[in-house]
Amino acid sequence: MGTVVTFDVYRRGGIDPTEFLAFLARAVDSLHHDDKVFSTWKPESAVNRLRRGEITLGEAPAEVTEVLEACRHAREVSGGWFDPWAMPGGVDPTGYVKGWAAQRALDELRGAGLDGAMVNAAGDIACFGVPEPGHVFRVGVVRPNAPLELACVVELRAAIATSGTYERGAHLVNPGSGEHRSAVASASVTGPDLGLADALATALCVAGAPVLSLIDGLANYEAFTIDERGALCSTAAFPFAHSGASRAS
Amino acid sequence: MNATGHQITKVSIGSLNDGGNPQSQYIDQQAIPYLIQQAMAAHGANIQGVSGASYTSAGFERSLQGALTQLGL
Repeated sequence: MGTVVTFDVYRRGGIDPTEFLAFLARAVDSLHHDDKVFSTWKPESAVNRLRRGEITLGEAPAEVTEVLEACRHAREVSGGWFDPWAMPGGVDPTGYVKGWAAQRALDELRGAGLDGAMVNAAGDIACFGVPEPGHVFRVGVVRPNAPLELACVVELRAAIATSGTYERGAHLVNPGSGEHRSAVASASVTGPDLGLADALATALCVAGAPVLSLIDGLANYEAFTIDERGALCSTAAFPFAHSGASRAS
Repeated sequence: MNATGHQITKVSIGSLNDGGNPQSQYIDQQAIPYLIQQAMAAHGANIQGVSGASYTSAGFERSLQGALTQLGL
């Protein structure tokens, strides 16, 4: 499955393209590298070869072990609702990898002398810095039954992932039953790391309330869901933006 | 895109990449004004990005984030 990743970069006084393009090239290379290693859509990816038993984990690139370790952690904190080992066709870390890959691509831009930068990987977003001095990044989350309208605006300091079935149909799998069924129409998770946020958003969309309370007990992560009727449910400290531009604290 | 001071007054998307399917071209022509209207509303909400369920490359073109990116907002 192909998708689009966008980078937005901010610097007061403008950006020198000759210097910046070298950083951007590293970010793009990082995405292509991770796609080549982890894509379940490319028959010859390391993950697919691992799934077919052609190579062992020890023979796969080191980052496969790193990602599977992180997936094990995500499975634990999600109470088993995120489980790459329960997917049909063998271990499938896709639910973690998109966020993880976008996060590390963004990290390639940290040395570029920017005020701020944001990566958006098909709806999952990570940022660092600020869009302009004194302001924090603000991100809209779309309404699941009208995805061109915003359900709410979020103040973003690191990462947000949203999961839902309104773009690509019922692709989420309940790891317990194997069924393609989601408890809510849309699930969003914010936190310091886009990989874990991505995995938790997948788990939250499948499970609903049980995972929402797990995330409520997790330091630095917040979440909210929108159900089929449009009702919104969130953890206690979710960083919803108030109307108007917000000031950085 | 036309802008007056800090106020954007008019934006347009020429066409969406729909693979030349006449049916989807018709749908796009109906949908583009609404997409632009929603992109301008989102821009007015002072946001730098849009989070939502994963879209494909084709889905990006008709998504709110896609419209903001294509319009340079």
